[in-house]
Amino acid sequence: MIRPLLVRREKPLPGGQPLAFVLGSSVALFLGAALLWVAGDDPTEVYQRMLSASFGDLEALSATINRAIPLALAGLAVAIAATMGLWNIGAEGQILFGATAAAWVAQIGNAWSGPLLIVAMLVGATFGGALWALGPAIAKAQIGVNEIITTLMLNEIAVRFVRYLINGPWKDPEGFGFVQAPALPDQSELPGLFERAHIGALVAVAVLAVVGLMVSRSSWGYELRIAGSSGATATYAGISLKRKTLAVLVLSGAVAGLAGGIELTGNATRLTETVSNGYGFAGIIVAALALMRPSGVALVAVLFGAVQVGGQSIKAIGVSDAVSTVLQALILFGVIAAGVLVAYRLELAKAKVHSL
Amino acid sequence: MDADPLVDPLADPLAVELIGIHKRFPGVVANAGTELKVKRGSIHAVLGENGAGKSTLMNVLAGVYRPEAGEVRVLGARRVFASPSAALAAGVGMVHQEFRLVPTFTVAENVVLGAATRVLHMGTVEKQVADLAQRFSLDVDPQRQVWQLSMGERQRVEILKALWRAAEILILDEPTAVLTPQEADELGSIIRQMANDGRSVIFISHKLHEVKQYCDEATVLRGGKTVASSLKVEDLTSPQLAELMVGDATHTIRRPEPTQACATLLMVENLHALNNRKLPALRDVSLSVHEGEIVGIAGVAGNGQRELADVIAGLRNALSGSVRLFDRDITNASARQRFRAGLSYIPEDRVGVGLAVQLSITDNAILRSYRQHRRGPLIATDRAKAFCAEIVSAFKVRAGSLDQRIAELSGGNLQRLLVGRELTAEPSVIVASQPTRGLDVQGVTAIQELLIDARNRGLGVLLISEDLDELLAISDRILVMHGGRIAAQYVGVDANRSAIGLAMAGEPA
Repeated sequence: MIRPLLVRREKPLPGGQPLAFVLGSSVALFLGAALLWVAGDDPTEVYQRMLSASFGDLEALSATINRAIPLALAGLAVAIAATMGLWNIGAEGQILFGATAAAWVAQIGNAWSGPLLIVAMLVGATFGGALWALGPAIAKAQIGVNEIITTLMLNEIAVRFVRYLINGPWKDPEGFGFVQAPALPDQSELPGLFERAHIGALVAVAVLAVVGLMVSRSSWGYELRIAGSSGATATYAGISLKRKTLAVLVLSGAVAGLAGGIELTGNATRLTETVSNGYGFAGIIVAALALMRPSGVALVAVLFGAVQVGGQSIKAIGVSDAVSTVLQALILFGVIAAGVLVAYRLELAKAKVHSL
Repeated sequence: MDADPLVDPLADPLAVELIGIHKRFPGVVANAGTELKVKRGSIHAVLGENGAGKSTLMNVLAGVYRPEAGEVRVLGARRVFASPSAALAAGVGMVHQEFRLVPTFTVAENVVLGAATRVLHMGTVEKQVADLAQRFSLDVDPQRQVWQLSMGERQRVEILKALWRAAEILILDEPTAVLTPQEADELGSIIRQMANDGRSVIFISHKLHEVKQYCDEATVLRGGKTVASSLKVEDLTSPQLAELMVGDATHTIRRPEPTQACATLLMVENLHALNNRKLPALRDVSLSVHEGEIVGIAGVAGNGQRELADVIAGLRNALSGSVRLFDRDITNASARQRFRAGLSYIPEDRVGVGLAVQLSITDNAILRSYRQHRRGPLIATDRAKAFCAEIVSAFKVRAGSLDQRIAELSGGNLQRLLVGRELTAEPSVIVASQPTRGLDVQGVTAIQELLIDARNRGLGVLLISEDLDELLAISDRILVMHGGRIAAQYVGVDANRSAIGLAMAGEPA
């Protein structure tokens, strides 16, 4: 009997994660092409269209960048928590609640000047996201409640909460019977950069840089990495695990909340329960592919933004935009599998049969 | 020699015969020609200190390890086990120290787990398990879930697992370590019933009174070799067993010149503390460490040494009592405050407590001092690296680069890094828990020399070790811990192996 065995390489292949990324993505594109072909579509045409819709000209690029912003921030939120070995599965809800908080600020500051209102909304969104993560953070730090469960379930509660607001207290009086939140004031729209791109991209890059530096270089981030590697070592060195857990989950929520604020002020005209659009969950994949490193998150987010934008574009030629979801999943599988092969090699071993 | 099909298994009086077993791990020879003969229907003790090779030998018999050389004979036939399940099929079952049970499964489900080859009717299994339990007085309800059970009951489930698989030979690896004295006595009568039933029980222990009380024969291991084989337990006294276990007293002892003991550096008074299972681990422990003195703590694992070190270092709360450093009461101080006050700690778990395995050498080197390497909110990488480079060169840590993950370092280099970091802080007292365990000879010597050197510079050293040779070689005083208490104290020339061995076993002369 011959069976495959994974054997750890003496040294991982040179190239590491970037190599795994290129390899895995190529395999994913190839498998995707095979699926398209089986479904009766022309893979070349579909891929070409996706490419030109996401990177073909400045307009396409701006759409990709706008998508990449919430993906990058959600990915960063997940990556920060993962540095300490915690899983924030609730970025989706934190984005939504951040957007809700921003919408609330917009109602109060209806008459404020644009810059003031925008800054206030983004700050509000950040606090909103932090607040949505606070419950799981306290429960985890004080009595060790699994943060995966609590953050996950709060996603649903955030959706229900927004639905309640839209149907009840925040129902648009000028909605002609449509159940929707009131439109945001005009001056709350983020200033543009080029084509559809807006300054949210700059905010996101700045946050990525600052938080990335905090995690990788500051003494705060050092403590975080120690705690993530071994809680007992952190305690030994006098680092409070409770305080660290609380801080890191709240920061994670704040970053996700900011993504909600940027999404609302940059791309939406009013608060809806779909404003988070799955970015929070896609952020988990983005963070995983970036190996939980803030530095890699931006690149992966742009790639995923492109795949999502490309997926929207192929509806025009009668191909389901589910292709985009399938491709994202294939990339995830492909890169993870390639990552394993960077560290291990495949051997075919003869299973030994021992007589008793 | 090949298996001889003509041998009638029933004719052989031996249940187990291990001949010339050799088993080596990187840097350690665990078994060097170890021998063991176990008669049918008897309870056979395997005695030895930590590191004598007991567990390795039993894992060889149970199919967990494959020996490099030697022969395993079970019920008269030669066997080569490819896996624990192969050993089980041949009749050898082992109950490990850490139970392997699924907490959310019932007793019956745990018993059949992994052994069921077809769909089973749980009612039938529960009946079978209940019958078996009754037959051997293993009082446990088959329908209860394991998380609801006490440690003693969980152990009975493990025994039931082996019996249900028709094990003829049952290996119990330090079975009483997790039991209360009453539960231990119950276990004693359970295994007696099994022996009367014709099965054989191998009982691994270093508690002499249990061996005397429960076992028929004893084999003593020391340093991976069998030093006494199949002794009749009733013919032996505890001191004789203790002497066999720890070796003769003719060993040359290299003791550094005692320095002039003066000021008391560390003072522990009437300390009480609980272990992780919330049971008393320290009972009224008092001790002191003076300037220029190495105080050794001897004892069999699990007698409170780990908890003592943790309480002194600030990683575990004391129930009552006090810890003082110089004249300062540090009983309630944090781990970081204690370190700043001059108390360094080399924990028993180097990797996982003392060092963070996923991080680099530099990150680990600055664990105690990272706040001093700050430039604004950021850590000054250049200063951190310079600090790390000093430790690496002063303590001869062999490393490719300072950015290397410590996971790639050998055990000896890891310990040099850890000890180096703790000594670089210029402490006045250093608590060292099992500082040389698992190291090769060179590593052991290097670490011991560092400790002696620290002592000669006037530091107080509290050395906790399960290696009696080490304690005898470098301690100025030896305290023996047993059952959470300081059971005996020996100063310099008074220290003799067999007396210490007896005190370790809870029977001070």
